[in-house]
Amino acid sequence: MTAPTVSSPPPPAADPTALRALRQTVLVIAALCGLAVLLLLVQHLRSQADDPLKSPQLLALKQQLLAEPKNEALKQQIRLLDLDLRRSHVRDVAFNAFGAWFVLVGVVVLVFAAKGIARFRVVLPSPHASPDAAERVAVTALRARRVTVGVAAITGVAFLVLALPAKTRLPSSPAGVDKVLAKLRGEGEDAPPLPSPAEFAANWPRFLGPSGAAFVTNAAFPLAFNLASGEGVLWRTPVPAPGFNSPLIWSNRVFLSGGDATNRSVFAFDLTTGTQVWQRAVANVPGSPAKPPEVPDSTGFAASTMATDGRRVFAMFANGDLATFNLDGSPVWSKNLGVPKNQYGFATSLAIWQGRLLLQYDQGEPENNLSKLIAFDGATGRVIWQKPRPVGQSWATPVVYEVAGKPQIATLAGELVIAYSVADGNELWRAQMLSGEITPSPIFAGGLVVAISPSDQLFAIKPDGAGDVTKSHVVWKTDENVPDVTSPVSNGELVFAVTSSGTVTCFDLKDGKKLWEHECELEVSSSPAIAGDRVYVFGTKGGMAVLAAAREARELAKADLAEGVLASPAFARGVMVVRTVKTLFCVADKGGPVLEAKRP
Amino acid sequence: MSLRRFGIAAFALLAPLWNGGLALAEQRFPPPEFETGYKMPAITTPAPRGLAMEYVDVAVLVTALGVAAWLVHRKRSRRGLIVLSLFSLVYFGFYRKGCICPIGAPQNVAYGLFNPDYAIPVTALAFFLVPLLFSLFSGRTFCSGVCPHGALQDLVLIKPVKVPLWLEQGLSIVPYIFLGAGVLFAATGAGFVICRFDPFIPLFRMTGSFFILCLAGGFLLTSLFVGRPFCRFLCPYGALLRLGSLVSKWRVRITPDYCTQCRLCEQSCPFGAIREPLVATANPAALAPDRRRLGWLLLLLPVLIAVGAWGGSKLSVPASRLHPTVALAEKYLDPKKPAPTPGSATPETLALTRADENAEAILTTAAAVRRKFDVGGWWFGGWVGLVVGLRLVSLSTRTARADFEPDRGSCYACGRCYLACPNERVRVGLLSPAEAAGLNANRAASRVAASART
Repeated sequence: MTAPTVSSPPPPAADPTALRALRQTVLVIAALCGLAVLLLLVQHLRSQADDPLKSPQLLALKQQLLAEPKNEALKQQIRLLDLDLRRSHVRDVAFNAFGAWFVLVGVVVLVFAAKGIARFRVVLPSPHASPDAAERVAVTALRARRVTVGVAAITGVAFLVLALPAKTRLPSSPAGVDKVLAKLRGEGEDAPPLPSPAEFAANWPRFLGPSGAAFVTNAAFPLAFNLASGEGVLWRTPVPAPGFNSPLIWSNRVFLSGGDATNRSVFAFDLTTGTQVWQRAVANVPGSPAKPPEVPDSTGFAASTMATDGRRVFAMFANGDLATFNLDGSPVWSKNLGVPKNQYGFATSLAIWQGRLLLQYDQGEPENNLSKLIAFDGATGRVIWQKPRPVGQSWATPVVYEVAGKPQIATLAGELVIAYSVADGNELWRAQMLSGEITPSPIFAGGLVVAISPSDQLFAIKPDGAGDVTKSHVVWKTDENVPDVTSPVSNGELVFAVTSSGTVTCFDLKDGKKLWEHECELEVSSSPAIAGDRVYVFGTKGGMAVLAAAREARELAKADLAEGVLASPAFARGVMVVRTVKTLFCVADKGGPVLEAKRP
Repeated sequence: MSLRRFGIAAFALLAPLWNGGLALAEQRFPPPEFETGYKMPAITTPAPRGLAMEYVDVAVLVTALGVAAWLVHRKRSRRGLIVLSLFSLVYFGFYRKGCICPIGAPQNVAYGLFNPDYAIPVTALAFFLVPLLFSLFSGRTFCSGVCPHGALQDLVLIKPVKVPLWLEQGLSIVPYIFLGAGVLFAATGAGFVICRFDPFIPLFRMTGSFFILCLAGGFLLTSLFVGRPFCRFLCPYGALLRLGSLVSKWRVRITPDYCTQCRLCEQSCPFGAIREPLVATANPAALAPDRRRLGWLLLLLPVLIAVGAWGGSKLSVPASRLHPTVALAEKYLDPKKPAPTPGSATPETLALTRADENAEAILTTAAAVRRKFDVGGWWFGGWVGLVVGLRLVSLSTRTARADFEPDRGSCYACGRCYLACPNERVRVGLLSPAEAAGLNANRAASRVAASART
């Protein structure tokens, strides 16, 4: 092949003045652009501390505000700092935008000038014949194959570098996820065992006791005891904070909560001596409202009875704070569920089932769709499930029981008795049996759910139905001497109900037939409890009556405590613990409480 | 395949993407109306537009592609392509802020194919399909003057440095790997990584994270001296257009008449896309080693795919962490996660609180995503093996050429080579036929010499 004889047109002649001008333009613009980029970089680094969302100073002040929620000067300081930071942020954004435009225009000018220089410096192509095309192609292909292999090798190494150290706790399979979730719920193989049913039954872990029917067997207490003189009283100690919740007993500890709009606490006492073992304030709960809700004094902030799963204790307050502590008082978790919309204040007590904390969080009106039933993992506070409820505010405590080996939770509110599966929260059955403001709690006895529609009817439902069981599973109902506040109690054979005026009525659990009634001449607002063959009834003005838990009416004893009782008594380990408005006291037969060897 | 058949096949393949309707931008919760006159800022970039304006974008795209095809194949005007590039840079780049863009559109398609709940917007589908369809007829006309990314790089190219052909050919598999990764992450719902790591979007929007701005600056600086580095070594959509261009109906021709084999055009291409003539070997026996190598590589191809698939399957754990739900689930299950601190909520602690309240749903979703990556990892790895294998095979074959021609896959149809050709200069009147008279003699002589060799 001969050498080509045609070439590209010659470039324009290099004008030294124009070339110099272009060079200087490039240098100046490049310097200005470089300076602008440098300033933008410095600005970027400096503005990191002024980020309104990340400012350490602002975060520290907000943290301080948690400890001093009423510090108005601090609030003003936060507002001013926040305003300053946002102003600074807006200035930074404007500066960056100006800088970006400056650099953009500079780059455009720079490119034009540089292209101008390049035009003066075009080197005319002068290609020559190159006869070894095949060899060049072969060499190029060989080298390209090597580069391809190199890229593949680098990709492979990158795969290995990324994959080998990658460890994960997240399984891919649904079964693996179920396993992880079970572990999170504390149901894993390595989770500490929960208390056995026998251990649970030996204590008083929730409102109305382990069975939810306020009944313990084989308990014997002195019928005659005097709180003022101390006769028959094992110990007594002042209640450190107001509250209408009932005490719990677990092992050698008595737990209760108390508080008001300002402070709310959980207390633990020694069951043997009554000494306060620990007190924990429920404070700094994430999401807790700075301004407490208005709650009537007749309910207070600590009307909900606590619950324990034997490893932890749980307390709920009227401002929506839910707090958990280990039995030794160390905090586990706490959260605020939002201030419940409740005209009389939140008073529903907590329920427990195998490490799960169950909360009937009813509020507002049915059309507000605010009510729900929530199952928390007791160990972590994680919501295992929550189900909306078609009801408004209520004050009754749900009861948990097993039907054919499957746990159910029965709830009362509005017009409905609704039972849910504890496992997944799915509704099992419902009955339209209620009216009025629902305060008495349901109980489970003799295979029946027994509940009260206040001042209306006492009824029993067989809990093995599905769907609406109003017409199919109501075993019996009666309208005689129906209480309006207190819950029924049962020993599995008889049902006892106490009206606010102190009338105790005994019904046959099988058919609801009234067996007897007895006037105790007490004003009563706390639910009674059954210990062995005795029914204990406490009055709001200090009176107390003990009746025989039998088919015939018989008053065994009567006493005046001189202090009103608004909480239900707790029976466990051979003692009775009662919370009066001022005092917590323990009644025991000879020998005091029966404790196991191992203490928490 | 006729155009009609192609249309039917394309419709059949893409019909599932419609999902029963168009995806229209609509706010689920309309913002409140402020009495103070405060205007809610747009929270997406670019701000959502009315559907009519999106169709305007599609119309502009189609028009620009048509103009580009006309400028490349009929008008043969480099100057016209420069003007079109400037328009595309301003409209698709700085005005539309790089979105919507065909480069990221394969991700919409992949996401639409693998997520039945997602109805791919018709504009995204159009932006994905239309340039590809054009490539089947007119080559990479999208790259020539319509792509804002290419336009930006092309316009700032000052002093091109020639990248060795062997390096360019070897690195040409990178865009395919990037495309595979983009499809994997989009199909699994982890995100649109092609968009996330697009170095030019921050320039169009004049904002971005520090890392991506540094990346943008790096690419822009490189573009001053290396022609279209992003297009050549990274662009995943360019990888698709390359395939379309290989079978395009019309291809870029350097000379309007005949090749003088003067080699001037070879110097004019800053992208090293012009290939020199290569005559077929006279002695087939000399090709035996090449044939053996090709045979071995064809046998190696399934092995490479298998090895790649196995390697890709090992990526599911680290790759899935780009998915926000998987990342949250992993963080939630980490025993060293930060303890919730009252009052000082950060996005991270808020997310963990959310996970705490809804762990079952989050873990179940994350595990489902991880399973998608388990499967997708095999496919991605296999894809990488296939790309490597096919590249090695293609590098072991020879294409005979009589003249200097643009490589059909690598040519960006920028039009630089046109005026380098003396015959083109004669055509447009820059060179008189008399001045070009000696070319015929050169051509005739070269043909005689070539025939003598063979």
